[in-house]
Amino acid sequence: MKTTIQEIDGNMVAILEGSLDTAAAADTEKAMSPLNDVEGKDIIIDCTDLAYISSAGLRIFLGILQNAQAKGGHVYIKGINDTVRGIFTITGFSNIFEFM
Amino acid sequence: MDNQVRLDAHGEMLLRQYRELLPTLQQLADDASSQLRHALLEQGIYITAMEHRVKTEKSLTGKLELKGAKYKSIDDITDLVGLRVITFYTDEVDKVAAIAKRIFDIDWQESVDKRKLHKLDSFGYNSLHYICRLKTGGPRFELQMRTALQHVWSTIEHDTGYKGDVKIPDVYLRQFNRLAGMMELMDDEFSRLRTVLTDYRRQTLALVKSGKLDDVPLSRDSFRNYLDLHPFDRLNKRIAAVNQAEIWPVSVMSYLPVLESFGMETLGQVQHFIDENSEDAYQLALSQLAITDLDILSSNTALQYLCLVYVLKHDGGRDGLKSLYDLINGESDANGIVADMMMEQAKTLPFMQKKR
Repeated sequence: MKTTIQEIDGNMVAILEGSLDTAAAADTEKAMSPLNDVEGKDIIIDCTDLAYISSAGLRIFLGILQNAQAKGGHVYIKGINDTVRGIFTITGFSNIFEFM
Repeated sequence: MDNQVRLDAHGEMLLRQYRELLPTLQQLADDASSQLRHALLEQGIYITAMEHRVKTEKSLTGKLELKGAKYKSIDDITDLVGLRVITFYTDEVDKVAAIAKRIFDIDWQESVDKRKLHKLDSFGYNSLHYICRLKTGGPRFELQMRTALQHVWSTIEHDTGYKGDVKIPDVYLRQFNRLAGMMELMDDEFSRLRTVLTDYRRQTLALVKSGKLDDVPLSRDSFRNYLDLHPFDRLNKRIAAVNQAEIWPVSVMSYLPVLESFGMETLGQVQHFIDENSEDAYQLALSQLAITDLDILSSNTALQYLCLVYVLKHDGGRDGLKSLYDLINGESDANGIVADMMMEQAKTLPFMQKKR
C-alpha cells in the first residue's frame, strides 16, 4: 500500500495505491496524518488506484472527514472503483462523503 | 464646534458641565450596556442588535441652541447616554423592558411608550423609551427598545426628513401612513406566527411522545422529534450484530426527502413502514454484510435497507433503486452500478421470491 500526499491546485491530495486492508491500515493512517493539520484547504482522497478498503480504512477516512468538518473543510473522494463504492454503500457511508 | 452655532451664556455653561462629565458618561454607557447585555443573556433573550453611544458635543450644541433654556443643569438632559436594543419580535420589546425595570431605576415621569401615543387614525414611530439610572446612582440615560421593523421605519423616516421643517403634502403623508400601518401589521403577524409555530412544535412533540404518530404530519421538525425516540436503533443493532460492528453516528435527516418521495405524510406511516419492512431489511443487510468482515456501519444503515426493501416491494426494480441512490447520494451514473449490485443480492431473498 502506497500513500502520497501533495498539494495540487490549492487542495491537499492524498493518492492511495494498493489495498487498504487491516494490515496496511496503521501505516496508511500515519502517512495520511498530515491531512489532520490542513486548514483552509479542501482535501481530496484520490482512490483511482485503490483496490479495496477495509473497516480500518473506513475509520481512517471518517477520522479525516470529522477533523476537516470541524474546521469547515470538505473531503472529496475521487475515482473509486466499484468494489470500494459497494463497501461505502453497504455500510451506509455513501452519503457522508462527497464523491467526485 | 460648528461656527454657525451661537450659544448663549447658559448654553455655554451647560456645555462646560458636559465636558467635565464626559468621562463619567463614557463609563456609564459601557456599564449600562454591559449590565443589560448580561441580563438579556441570562434570560435567554436573543436580540438583533444592541447599541450604545454618548451624545457628541456637536449634537448637544445643536440641541442647546434650540432649547437650551429648558434645562437648568446638564443633569436635566436625559439622553446624553443612549442605549438601543433592537429585538426580533414585538413581545420581546416588553420582555426587554421588564428586564430593564429589574436592573435599572426607571424615571417614570420622563419615560414614554410611544407605541401608545398614536391616535386611532395615525401610525408611525412605535418605540418604547425608558429614562433609567444605574442602581448604583449616577447620571440618567435613555434606553430605547424597538423591533427590527420599527428600527427600519425610524431609520427611513429620519432619512426622508419626514419629520423635518417642510410641511409634507397630504398625498405623501398618506403614503407614509400606509407603509407605517403595513410595518405595524407585519410586526404583529411575525409575532403571531412565531407563537403559532411554537405551539405547533410543542403539540407535535407531545403527540410523538404519547405515541399518537398517526396524528403527526411528517415534517422536518416532527421527524427530528421522532428521531429522539430512536426508531431505527433496534434494526441498526440487529444488523450491526452480524459482524459485531461499531455504529458510527451520522444524521438521518437526509433520508426525509426519500420518505416523502414514498408518499408518507405522517409519522404513523413512517412507523408502519419500519414495522412492515424491518425483517426483510435485515435479511437484505445480512446478505450483503455476512460475506464481509466490515465491522463499522453508519447509523443510517437500517433506514437505508428499509428504503431499499420498500422500493423493491413496490416494483421499483433496478431503476427505482438507482433513483433512491440519486436522492440519497446525489445524482450520478455510479448509483446505477450500486443499484445493479443491490438488485443482484436482493434477487435471492424471500420477499423477492414471494413477489414472483
